[in-house]
Amino acid sequence: MSEAAQHRQLSALDLRRILGVTRALAAPFDLTTMLAEVVNAAAQVLDAERGSVWLHDAATHELVLKVATGLDSVRLPAGKGIVGTCARTLQIINVPDCYADPRFDPALDQASGYRTRCMLTLPLVDHKGGLVGVLQVLNRKGRSFDGDDEALAMALAAQCAVALQRVRMTEAMLEGERMRNELEMARAVQLSTLPAIMPIVPGYDVHGLFQPADLTGGDTFDLAASADSLLVVLADATGHGIAPALSVTQMQAMLRMSLRMGASLETAFTEVNNQLAETLADDRFITAFIGQLDLATHRLRFHSAGQAPILHFQATTGTCARYKPTSFPLGAMPIVSLRPAVTLEMQPGDILVLLSDGVFEYHDPDREQFGENRVEAIVQTHHGKSMNELAALVLDEVNSFARGAPQEDDITMVLVKRAAQETTLSRAFARDFGALNAIFSFTADAFTRLRVDAALLPTIDLVVEELFTNMVKYSPESRAEVYIGLARIENGVEVTLTDHDVEPFDVTQSPEVNIDLPIEERTPGGLGLQLIRRLTDSVEYAYSREDRQSRITIRKTQPGPQSPGNAAKAGGRDAGN
Amino acid sequence: MLAIDFAAEGVVAISGRLDAAQAPAAQAFLDRVQGTVTLDCRNLEYISSAGLGVLLKTQKRLLASAGKLRLAGVGRHLQDIFSYSGFDQIFEIEPAQ
Repeated sequence: MSEAAQHRQLSALDLRRILGVTRALAAPFDLTTMLAEVVNAAAQVLDAERGSVWLHDAATHELVLKVATGLDSVRLPAGKGIVGTCARTLQIINVPDCYADPRFDPALDQASGYRTRCMLTLPLVDHKGGLVGVLQVLNRKGRSFDGDDEALAMALAAQCAVALQRVRMTEAMLEGERMRNELEMARAVQLSTLPAIMPIVPGYDVHGLFQPADLTGGDTFDLAASADSLLVVLADATGHGIAPALSVTQMQAMLRMSLRMGASLETAFTEVNNQLAETLADDRFITAFIGQLDLATHRLRFHSAGQAPILHFQATTGTCARYKPTSFPLGAMPIVSLRPAVTLEMQPGDILVLLSDGVFEYHDPDREQFGENRVEAIVQTHHGKSMNELAALVLDEVNSFARGAPQEDDITMVLVKRAAQETTLSRAFARDFGALNAIFSFTADAFTRLRVDAALLPTIDLVVEELFTNMVKYSPESRAEVYIGLARIENGVEVTLTDHDVEPFDVTQSPEVNIDLPIEERTPGGLGLQLIRRLTDSVEYAYSREDRQSRITIRKTQPGPQSPGNAAKAGGRDAGN
Repeated sequence: MLAIDFAAEGVVAISGRLDAAQAPAAQAFLDRVQGTVTLDCRNLEYISSAGLGVLLKTQKRLLASAGKLRLAGVGRHLQDIFSYSGFDQIFEIEPAQ
């Protein structure tokens, strides 16, 4: 994106225009209609003569021209020309004078008889960062495209990509005949919007959980971290089936886009509400908690559209404060005047607890509801546990309370805890061998700050060095930074390495090195992973296919290698040979 | 950082960290030693598999010409690494006092 696009503030009017397009894009379920909508929307919003869409064919790594007047199917290798460059770099390309640009291929103009004067080319990237296609907008009326147009186009492209992704998914399901009924599709749509891996938030432990009911409801949640803030969303659309699932998906896309484009919490909340008020049927609405946590000040500002109760566990008192909604449910009617946002101060050890009705209103065979007090009691007892564990505990309690009564509504939880003391530190490092010294400085510093026994440092340095150098060596095509996190645990330390934009490689499955071979046959290969397994307590591997993200988690506790646990592992090695 | 140099006749002292960033420098030095060499590891704080690779390559070269690399002054942590990697079967190792 150009500088102009980054620095531009999105006005409420722009936002309204784009959200209007989003609404149009929410309807079609077939690709042809959707693409026509995308091109129409682009031309309209950007005041351009026409547009075209190239879809990325991942199988052949080609770009296929899908919508452009008067042309049959055209295929380009991804990487070639302006369209290909855009697909490769995922950057917007603004060409003010096409015939003066050597990258421009006039062949398409010759074939169609149209003269392209200026052109804006931009990637359609889904919300998980994958290339969906390339959008081109041709010939802005009266002038060439400027920085404002670029900003608008980027916002639009984000919306188009989400819509296209949904259509592709639907088509794939239809082709595979996997979609047996509307409810399955509703659930797939719903699940596709949830974060596959919880974001890494320094100084916080965040966890979201979603357990759909048989008759899928309309719950969703979002936890999205940027450099200095965390977006926290929990929403519940009325009803069951495809309509509420689509409404919450649409709401989430609108919201993410508005905030990413720099709209304030208030503007985003109001505009999303007003758009939904126009779209949703009169008897439908969405309750939603939408909060922004400032990671520097630890202040969480939120608006809640009919979503309650909101529990704030306060570590200093050991009790929960309860908050009410700030507004009526989204989509119920246009917002004329919005009450101010509520601000929570997240102190060390505090937890924000957001649960959907599916928890509070779960009833046992005698029709008694689970209620707020039970939730509060669990949080008070188990606030020291990890948020992952706390969510599982709530679920367990609900299940035993239910005594077999069926789950009638979606269960969704979002838990955000500020670390009780400084117990975790993480940093991103360039994917380069040259980063090693900076990494060792980071681990040494983290050990001091987290008060971890320095005797464990050489082992942790070895773990980090071996895994980091493997990541650099084996995924050279990725340009993403590698995240390294350290957390103090009882008697030791947990280290996490997160690698983005990579193929899976399960380090726990790497073969044992035969260390009894004669020296002539020994090589250093595989030794690093072998050492890690021997020197540490546990090694875990997780991969998210959608995010193309690998995460390795390793724990190391005292006492050292003389402990019975490690002796047993060493014995296992001998037995294995 | 890493320092590596001759300390006495047939003795090379190595100190600091033998990690992937320092391995090329250590390799360049050890490529020049001949015969039977004792590597004094008393001040070697850290070694990773990249460092083990350097030692292995040197040992293979020296053994081929009837020499060898001995490791002396090996502390607790390094001993674990040498035994878990089977290097205790390839090198003569003298523990630190």
